[in-house]
Amino acid sequence: MRDSDDLDNNPHVSRSALEAMHGQVFGWALSRCDFEQAVAEDLVQQAYVELLTGRARFDGESSLKTFVFAVVQNLSRNRYRRMATRLRLLQKAGSEPGADVAEPAEPREHTELWKAVQELPARQRDIIELVFCRDMTIEEASAVMGVTTGTGRVHYDRAKKTLKGRLAND
Amino acid sequence: MTDIDKQLHDALRNGQAKVEAGRTPDFETVWARAESAIVQRRRRARAVGGIAAAVALVAVVFASQLRQAEQEWQFVDPDEFASSTSWVAPSDVLLPKHRFDIYGEIPVLIESTDEDRGTLL
Repeated sequence: MRDSDDLDNNPHVSRSALEAMHGQVFGWALSRCDFEQAVAEDLVQQAYVELLTGRARFDGESSLKTFVFAVVQNLSRNRYRRMATRLRLLQKAGSEPGADVAEPAEPREHTELWKAVQELPARQRDIIELVFCRDMTIEEASAVMGVTTGTGRVHYDRAKKTLKGRLAND
Repeated sequence: MTDIDKQLHDALRNGQAKVEAGRTPDFETVWARAESAIVQRRRRARAVGGIAAAVALVAVVFASQLRQAEQEWQFVDPDEFASSTSWVAPSDVLLPKHRFDIYGEIPVLIESTDEDRGTLL
C-alpha cells in the first residue's frame, strides 16, 4: 500500500520522509561544497530532481538516508569534475585559474577540534562527519562514500587517532 | 561509546551545528524549485523535439523533391541528336528574342562590331 505522498517515479520514497531529513541532507551538501550556501542549495535541489524524475531510483536496499546522502555525494563529485575540466581548459587557454573561484564560506568561529576535522584528508573528514554528526554507522557511511566497509573503517580509525591527539592537546 | 568517542561526538556535533545554524533553506521552497526545474527541462526537451521534427520534415520533403527531379531527367539518344535539323533551346533567355532561329540567323553578340561582321574582337 502506497502512502499518498510517495513519489510517482520512486515508489519507495515519500515526500514527508525527505522533508524529515532535509536539514541533515542540506548540512551534508554544505560540507560537500566548502560551505557555499548557493551551491549547497543547488545540490539539494538537484538531488530532489533526480529523485522526482526517477533517475536516482531507491529500491529499499539501504536506508533512504544513506541513499539520499549518496546521491548528494555523487552530484557534488560530478560538479567537481566539471569544475576541474573547466579549470584545465582555462589553464590551456592561458587564463589565470581560480580568479572566479569563491573563497570557502565557512564561519570563522570554530574550535581547535573543528579546525582539525577540516584539516583531515577528504575521506577521513567525510567518514567522521557521517558517523559523528549524521549518526550513521561505519557501514552506512562507507556506502555513502562509495568505499568498502573495510576501507571506511581504516579511514575512520586514522581520523579518530588524529582527532584524539588534538583533543588531548586542547 | 567510549569517553573519547562521546567527547568527539559532542564537540563535532556542536561545531557542525554552529556552521549550519540558520542556513538550512525551507524544504517547500527547494522542493518547489526542483519541481519547476523538471517542468522547464520537459518544456526544453519538447521544444528541441519540435525543432528536430521540423528539420526532419524539411529534409524528407527536400529528398523527395530531389528524387522526383532525378526521375524527370531524360537521356538524349545520340543517333536522334545527330540527325536533328532543328533545335529549340529549353530557354532562350540569352538570345535576342523569343524563339530566335539560331540555325537561320547569326546572333549579334554584344562583343561584336558591325565592321567585323560579327567576329569577336
